[in-house]
Amino acid sequence: MLDLSNVNTFYGKSHILHNFELSIEPGTIHAILGRNGVGKTTLLSCILGLTDRSDGTMSFNGRDIISTATHERARAGISIVPQGRQIFPDFSIKENILMGGFAHPDGKRQVPDIVSELFPYLIDNMSRPGGLLSGGQQQQLAIARALAAAPKVLLMDEPTEGIQPNIVEQIENTIIRLNSEFGLTILLVEQNIKFARRAAKNYTIIEKGCPVDGGLCRDLTDNTIHKYLSV
Amino acid sequence: MIESVFLGLSVASILLLIALGLAITYGAMGIINMAHGELLMIGAYCAVLTRIHLGFDMFMALPVAFVMAGATGALIEVFIVRRLYNRLLDTLLATWGVAIVLQQAIRLEFGLVFFGIHIPGLGSGLQNTGIPQVLQGSWQVAGTNLPIFRTFVIGIALIMFAVTWWIYYRTSLGTQLRAIARNAKMAAACGVNVKRINTIAFSYGAGLAGMAGVLLSGFESVKPDMGSSFVINGFLVVVTGGVSSLFGTLFASGLLGEARAVLAIIYNDVLAQAAVFAGVILIILVRPSGLFSPKQR
Repeated sequence: MLDLSNVNTFYGKSHILHNFELSIEPGTIHAILGRNGVGKTTLLSCILGLTDRSDGTMSFNGRDIISTATHERARAGISIVPQGRQIFPDFSIKENILMGGFAHPDGKRQVPDIVSELFPYLIDNMSRPGGLLSGGQQQQLAIARALAAAPKVLLMDEPTEGIQPNIVEQIENTIIRLNSEFGLTILLVEQNIKFARRAAKNYTIIEKGCPVDGGLCRDLTDNTIHKYLSV
Repeated sequence: MIESVFLGLSVASILLLIALGLAITYGAMGIINMAHGELLMIGAYCAVLTRIHLGFDMFMALPVAFVMAGATGALIEVFIVRRLYNRLLDTLLATWGVAIVLQQAIRLEFGLVFFGIHIPGLGSGLQNTGIPQVLQGSWQVAGTNLPIFRTFVIGIALIMFAVTWWIYYRTSLGTQLRAIARNAKMAAACGVNVKRINTIAFSYGAGLAGMAGVLLSGFESVKPDMGSSFVINGFLVVVTGGVSSLFGTLFASGLLGEARAVLAIIYNDVLAQAAVFAGVILIILVRPSGLFSPKQR
């Protein structure tokens, strides 16, 4: 459903992704792996059109979106749970969730029903400013905000990074549930190989802005991990 | 004394209308718009020209000036400012250029009125708009005569402040604007059409300046450089009040407008302006982010 072919992307004069190829199978979790600084986050930014410049072909549901504006891609069904969560700190929890609604295909701005099921804490504290929440709560809020757009693809950038350990497992299970129960396609950038193996069907490994290895997660060998991912 | 304070309030009201636009463009969008004063001047000329040619009074000129200045603002945003987001100093230079072009264009067309020369379409002599009959005269409070026109100016400024506050905090447009101010990329990723919202916000601020021009034409003569000093004072207000705080802007325009007017009456205008500058410097030294800055994380 999301296919990148020969994609290059730039920040200023820095050429970050080189002739990138990627194909996301609908209804699956696809893990993007790689060491720090290889272009994983840039890949997500590029998919949303947030880098300075991109070329190549990026087809989403049969439409080439490489030259469309970020908000159009969001409205077409691509949502992001970004690195650092990027909550609007002075907006309340409710306002933060409703922000996602600007990308809802019907233009509906409301708190989706699954949020109350997944994150009861958020529903009980709707008027708290987002900036006062803990890291884990902000991560839940960022996921809720992305879900308010009723996305077709969810981009997640290290969703368990910097979160207290007892919440990590809860977030991980939520991600798996979003995929298995609600059929959401997820592109998961992850450093945590164990979780990536548990959750994802396919993987792609990036090195220096190029995909260097990929396939089914069950075929991901320790040898490959050692070669590309160990520090 | 009450009269001086009241006079100060009416000056503060003009300042408020100017500063609200700057609070949006500088505070929320990160643009230094040096042409903001020229938008006020365009509003003032709208009042003069619609009076001469269409027989409009000030009430009818207000919406006309809002639309004309707003449209000019939209053009400036689309053709120039849009290319300069995240380049603060470049916006200053570019919009300063726009200000000079607008000012000289008007001067070429209408600039010679000072010398009593007859200009087709404008007549001769200094221009100002006649104050409508109902706004002339004064009313009495506690034995003091307060001019009705100045009351009207204060009223319009407060109404426009309320409207701006409502748009900012109670509408979808305002939510999108505040989100862009915080994190434009994330706002776009949430589906906000950043370009469109920026154009609307810039144009709205310009429209407010146009309205200020109409009101100002009731006490000052209309001339091509009438807006220049207001843009400086407008920025002082925004910085003093705290960038992107609407109530800060309200409070600071009251404070600075009042200080300026009262000091000008007690001493003189030059000293008043100098004292205001000194006061602002002190405030910024003590509170660099302004009096009403939002809590930072």
